Amino acid sequence: MPGIDECLLEAMRLPGARGAALVDWTSGLALGTVGEAPGGDHETTAAEAAELARLAAEHGAFAADDPDGERPPVEDLIVSNRDSYHLLRFVETTFDSSVFLHLWLTRAEGNLALARIRLGEMAERLVLG
Amino acid sequence: MTVVDTTPPPRLPVRDRTAAAERAWGGLSPMLTRLAAERASGVLVRELGTLYLSEGRVVHAESPLAPGLDTLLTAHGTLTAEAWRDAVSRADERSGAAHLLLAGGHLAEGALQLCHLGALYDAAYFALAPSSAPGRFRYGVTHRLGPVLPVPVAALERETLRRRDLLRRIWPDPRADSAPLARTRTTAAPKLTARQQALLERIDGTRTAAELARELGRQAFHTLADVRRLASAGLVAPRPPEATTGPVATDDGPAATDEGRAATDDGPTTADERPAAEGTGPAVSGAGPPPGITERIACTTDPHITLLKRLRDALEAL
Repeated sequence: MPGIDECLLEAMRLPGARGAALVDWTSGLALGTVGEAPGGDHETTAAEAAELARLAAEHGAFAADDPDGERPPVEDLIVSNRDSYHLLRFVETTFDSSVFLHLWLTRAEGNLALARIRLGEMAERLVLG
Repeated sequence: MTVVDTTPPPRLPVRDRTAAAERAWGGLSPMLTRLAAERASGVLVRELGTLYLSEGRVVHAESPLAPGLDTLLTAHGTLTAEAWRDAVSRADERSGAAHLLLAGGHLAEGALQLCHLGALYDAAYFALAPSSAPGRFRYGVTHRLGPVLPVPVAALERETLRRRDLLRRIWPDPRADSAPLARTRTTAAPKLTARQQALLERIDGTRTAAELARELGRQAFHTLADVRRLASAGLVAPRPPEATTGPVATDDGPAATDEGRAATDDGPTTADERPAAEGTGPAVSGAGPPPGITERIACTTDPHITLLKRLRDALEAL
């Protein structure tokens, strides 16, 4: 059964991974970080990513058709720029929480489709063991 | 036209605020900073919460204002209450309750770490709130839960300060954090999230944010953030103290559960002290009209007056 650190280290084994973090999107707290962060500061990155995640999660435009209030309404968020990809995966827990996994990939080596599938599996294993 | 060139006035010296703040910085609790430096193990009891330390790092935190790990885990059926009680009763020096829960297969390690860290930062936010009473430290005391993921004191203090700032930016008035909450009418209510809707439906003029958080099985800080968003939208307001004494006293009678009663007991005491100690919010009562009008305005639900009050509060907080 993996803990938070093992989960983040596993994410770092994906091709092109530069950094990963587990972030609470209500408070902007980084619960765990590994590798680099854009700008060199994991805490600032977590707070900014949390703001983006909160907007996506709380606006009806992006929610799935069956909003039951318990599950995260959004699965993941993808942001791309000239040199990298950011992948935010919402973690579904059986208790009340608001966390997501944030993976930062270099654009040259990263494989977005693979990373998206793997990050989803990791998010599930993190809470279900 | 002749232009006379005068030398610009010399720039006034500016004190470097960040450097000054760092020099004067003794942490949120100087005692906690000292305990971290000497790598102490034991329990620090402060006015609004308790921090458990192991070798100078925080391993557990509890506060009467934040739902405990047990509440968070059992409220939505992640763990049965029996499994929790069993693990806590069997816990000893060698293996804590956390270890037993994992060994028994009740919980995945990631889920436990996630929920525990959330509960720790949540309770520490209140435990590190400004207090009027000195903290006490007892060496050698451990928590039955045992170690999960220790957090450095500096990280905890930074996060607590950041959270205070976050709440202040959402809505600067801290009274809604501790007072019983009441719904107000507004002219243009924004669309609420399902979480906010569930919270709003439970606001009935008697319970505080801390009690609602426990009832919903949510972290108290998350609830405070939602309450302040609702307050900023004009949907929720703290009930003024003079109006609450009546209904609270009657409602607290036979209907209240044991847990609810315990929570209301510490609610009002802190309600009076916290805003004053924190000093971040605007002082609202006092200046201006005679008390009769102030009282009537404080209780009104007229959308125009609530809008003006929100405008005034926001201006005062600038």
